[in-house]
Amino acid sequence: MVETSVEAMSNATLDGKSISSEDAYEQAAKILQAANFPLVAGLGADVAGAQAAILLAERLRGAFDHLASRDSLTDLEVVRSAGIFVTTPNEARVRADLALLVGSGLTGYWPAIFERLALDKETVHGGKTKRRVIWVGPKRGEAKIEGVEVETIPATEAELPGVLAALRARVGGRPTALSAAATKKLDAAAEALKSARFGVAVWAAAGLDSLMVEMLQGMITELNGTTRFTGVPIGGRSGATGVLQTSAWMTGFPPRTGFGRGYPEHDAWRFEARRLVESGEADAALWISAYDGEPPPWEDADIPVVTLGPPGAATKRGLFIAVGKPGENYDAVEFAQETSSMVLRRAKAPAELPTVAEAIAAISARFSEDLPC
Amino acid sequence: MLIRLRGGHVVDPVNGVDGVADIYFEDGRIVAPPPGREPDEDHDVSGHIVMAGAIDIHSHIAGGNVNSARLLLPEMHRSIRARLAGTPLSTAKWSTFETGRLYAQMGFTTVVEPAVAPHHALHAHLELGDVPIIDKGALTVLGNDDFLLGALREGESETAIADYVAQTVEATGTLGLKCINPGGADAFKQNMRAFGLDEIVPFYGVTSRQIFKSLQKATQTVGIPHPLHLHMNNLGIAGNIETALATIDAAEGLPMHLAHVQFYAYGVDGKNAFSSAAPALAAKINANKNITVDVGAVMFGDTVTISSDVLRQFNSLSGAIPKKGVIFDGDANGGGVVPYAYRISNYYNAIQWAAGLELFLLIDDPLQVFFTTDHPNGGPFTTYPELFALLMSAELRARWMERLPADVLEMTTLPSINREYSLYEIALMSRAGPARLYGFADRGRLDAGSIADIAVYKQQTDKAGMFRNAAYVFKDGELVVRDGSVTRYTKGKTLRVRPGYDRAIEKRLDAYYDQLYGLSRSIFDVPEAALAGRSRYAEVACRK
Repeated sequence: MVETSVEAMSNATLDGKSISSEDAYEQAAKILQAANFPLVAGLGADVAGAQAAILLAERLRGAFDHLASRDSLTDLEVVRSAGIFVTTPNEARVRADLALLVGSGLTGYWPAIFERLALDKETVHGGKTKRRVIWVGPKRGEAKIEGVEVETIPATEAELPGVLAALRARVGGRPTALSAAATKKLDAAAEALKSARFGVAVWAAAGLDSLMVEMLQGMITELNGTTRFTGVPIGGRSGATGVLQTSAWMTGFPPRTGFGRGYPEHDAWRFEARRLVESGEADAALWISAYDGEPPPWEDADIPVVTLGPPGAATKRGLFIAVGKPGENYDAVEFAQETSSMVLRRAKAPAELPTVAEAIAAISARFSEDLPC
Repeated sequence: MLIRLRGGHVVDPVNGVDGVADIYFEDGRIVAPPPGREPDEDHDVSGHIVMAGAIDIHSHIAGGNVNSARLLLPEMHRSIRARLAGTPLSTAKWSTFETGRLYAQMGFTTVVEPAVAPHHALHAHLELGDVPIIDKGALTVLGNDDFLLGALREGESETAIADYVAQTVEATGTLGLKCINPGGADAFKQNMRAFGLDEIVPFYGVTSRQIFKSLQKATQTVGIPHPLHLHMNNLGIAGNIETALATIDAAEGLPMHLAHVQFYAYGVDGKNAFSSAAPALAAKINANKNITVDVGAVMFGDTVTISSDVLRQFNSLSGAIPKKGVIFDGDANGGGVVPYAYRISNYYNAIQWAAGLELFLLIDDPLQVFFTTDHPNGGPFTTYPELFALLMSAELRARWMERLPADVLEMTTLPSINREYSLYEIALMSRAGPARLYGFADRGRLDAGSIADIAVYKQQTDKAGMFRNAAYVFKDGELVVRDGSVTRYTKGKTLRVRPGYDRAIEKRLDAYYDQLYGLSRSIFDVPEAALAGRSRYAEVACRK
């Protein structure tokens, strides 16, 4: 029993067996430097970790991806093809007299959502008003917020795109193919949206696809013709938004970016982590998942994998190096959903574990000299 | 290590120098010629112009809105070449790394990002920390924040507002204060679609004029060297010359900086009801020595407009090229990002281009007018060399004017202006003036004790070529550019002021955040620990 627990607590393992940190960093450096096209993926990290990881991918002329890129890119596809209206959760809290909640599972994607939006309280800015809350497509029994009378527009997951499209149509006074009763209900909602003073739509890209977000944003654009309306996006897990922002200022692009030619190229298909591994294009990977040890998405990697994760997440195969949890075991900058800004999270439970950035620095320090800076 | 630049033509207006001289520097500072010592390193720069490193007073290079623009427009910045050794990401287009490289190559060594929202200050500092080589500074945006507007509504004392201003500037780690369409962003949240100097912000009952005047006064009171940096109302609208003239009157002789004034130099003459009113604005600036301006010149090409004037950016959306944009209603100002293309064949764009040049050429004192294109709003900062060349040659301007739509030339006085800037005036405008504007005691000049930020340009007829690729650039005495190429990265500093104030305001703000947001105000802090050694602060002294 004692042995097992020591092994579980070990800071580094190779194929499940404990090794020294020194050996682990040495091995990791060898694996990554020997690769023709290494992948830096997962990227579940704080800003400093992401900075280190992106610089590492650039130096090695590999590629990088985040484990929740799918969600970031769902919103981003809309931004770069059509544009977007957004605000902060705090501005919604103090000003929004109407909240349109879109899709199910919002509290799963953001547990503190209703504490932050404070929809049970009156607005503060622009005058005191009671809020109106409309929820499109909640799960059965989900549309309950303490102290709030929630109006619902039912829609299953499969129906949601059509219902959103119909709502947008009615906001614009265009006909739909729905029954008279359904149309009447949507008309009432459309009227509420149009008479909001400062309305917000709240959605999580993890539960929608780009066409639905685009439909929603298209409706918001139309609403702004006569009143004010905007959006509160709920970002992806494991630091996705902070990594997206960091990636943007460092490379100009979001994750799913490669450096094979010595400069960044972004391609959401080409540099997707799972595809790169399963197709054999990447011949080594550094998997980073410091928040919760989420495993990689690929099946049967036939390539050497170095994993950085919390102590409990040691892998049975490959090289594992334990790192601290950002903002928990060490002070870390990350994107805060509640403020929609970068913040410093102070460690609540400091631990003797390297940060993601420190682990990457330790690996990089062991590259042989024929790898130029 | 003692370094000498030998035999160059030194242009250093702060010290009245305009002739051949040697420059010595050691340990990052310029030194007097040390008697009896031979330099350890000697550069023959005869045939070259030697100036202090240039200072850009207003360029949107970092922060959430700039980053939104990057994400909005991947098609605008595809990279095309690999970088040199030792300069990671320096060819990643529009990255913070490329920004540092490109500025350094032009001989710029200090750049100010002028629009940091208090709640997003940490983000801006993280980006600035990833801009290599150059020193950076920033301005904090107030004027659409509930705390200030509420204080004005309640008729609070000037002292309370001064304390709030000083505290916010200190907490956000910047060089001073900017005010962007005062009250306009809040009014837009309340569904106003236009906002003028004397319009009232609903719910607060205060006018734009009251807002910026209170901030202007507070900036002076707390001793921040840089006067209030004002982005006026009605940007980009035909006839907005009236707003600009009235705003200058409203300053009542107190120091104030007006940002990118080209965008306010529009009359309503001609069949398009859009004309250059630059002569009237220039005359007003000449008559009001308390006013400084930067031009925000338009240069033709594809660009993107990035502004915390959300109201204005919303109104621009319909003219976006390509047709998309980001409208962010922030906790206070927020921001809007709208791509645009300035075309030489477009009447309106050509008027804008001409108005910018008229302002440069009709404002008499180069210490009152500064270089900017309001990067990237009028054009990217990489067009500065072309702009320098246009100011230095009436003949070059005439050649450009031949390509403008004919009716444009009737709506601008540009064809009649023969003034040509000398190198001395260019140095005044891009070195001496900016240092004075921000209270930098040891920048923008080349006398003993100054920071050894030095740009050396090879003299040539092609002035744009000369300024595009500096022959040598030294940053803090270290050679960072040779023949227009960055040879290595150094780590720049972030410049900030620390104005004094009554700490009682902090308690009040703590309570305000608790009550309004149910959040600790400290969540918006910018602790140096958060910058993890990527940014080092250097302090600029406040006036006593």
